[in-house]
Amino acid sequence: MIGSRRLADVRAGDEIGPLPRLVTREAISAYAHASGDLNPLHRDDDVARTAGFPSVIAHGMFTMGHLATCVAEWAGDAASVVRLSVQFRAPVFPGETIVAGGRVRGLDEVSCEATLDVWVTVDREGTTGHPIRRGEAVVRLRP
Amino acid sequence: MNTQVVGKRYPEVRFVVDAERVETFRRAVGGPSHGVPPTFATTAEFEVFPRIVGDPEVGLDLLRVVHADQKYEHARPLAVGETLTIRSRIDDVRERGGLAFLVIRTELVGSDGEVAVTATSTMLERASD
Repeated sequence: MIGSRRLADVRAGDEIGPLPRLVTREAISAYAHASGDLNPLHRDDDVARTAGFPSVIAHGMFTMGHLATCVAEWAGDAASVVRLSVQFRAPVFPGETIVAGGRVRGLDEVSCEATLDVWVTVDREGTTGHPIRRGEAVVRLRP
Repeated sequence: MNTQVVGKRYPEVRFVVDAERVETFRRAVGGPSHGVPPTFATTAEFEVFPRIVGDPEVGLDLLRVVHADQKYEHARPLAVGETLTIRSRIDDVRERGGLAFLVIRTELVGSDGEVAVTATSTMLERASD
């Protein structure tokens, strides 16, 4: 926790990110092997089409993992991210760039924790998609 | 989906927070260069998920399933090198308007018997055409 962000340096309304990442087939494949989620929906276009998608889609957990990275970078220490909760709202396809971000909603000075609204967006031909629209993160801060 | 499986528990699995596995996962999610990534517990969940997803008693059709919600709660950080016990159970099954929700709760338990991380995954099965 030595490197984690200090309570005194955080205010409600502070923004985190934006942290972009290009989603490639190679990145999806690397995530599949790293996580053990080898569902062919993320690896085989024919299977993805049978399931109703135009191509393979990224794992929801790939997108959440990227969001967690954004929160951990802001927190200063991965170990201080004590809670992360999301709903997956839209698929993400290879070739798209996902952007993680968030905003501090509140601070608890007793537990020394910040609660953040967090999200992941994707730009789709000029309109903004929300693979993760209303996520929540709780980060433990240094007193 | 079979709503009678609520409460069903799956056999516990031993899981090591292996340094190389943590590093591979960190690279895959582009994580900072220290600490176990906050969503690393997903690798523990996937030690058990194939058994649940493939459980004929649950009756999931994988082609119609998407990941709907995910939550991680850390009672403490995971330590590289430690051995955990993974304990999964089906917390809830709900059906609504042709959609079925399967909630799987997975606890990563430390050698002291205390829960270090609780992971809650909700899978959504769409109605067949």
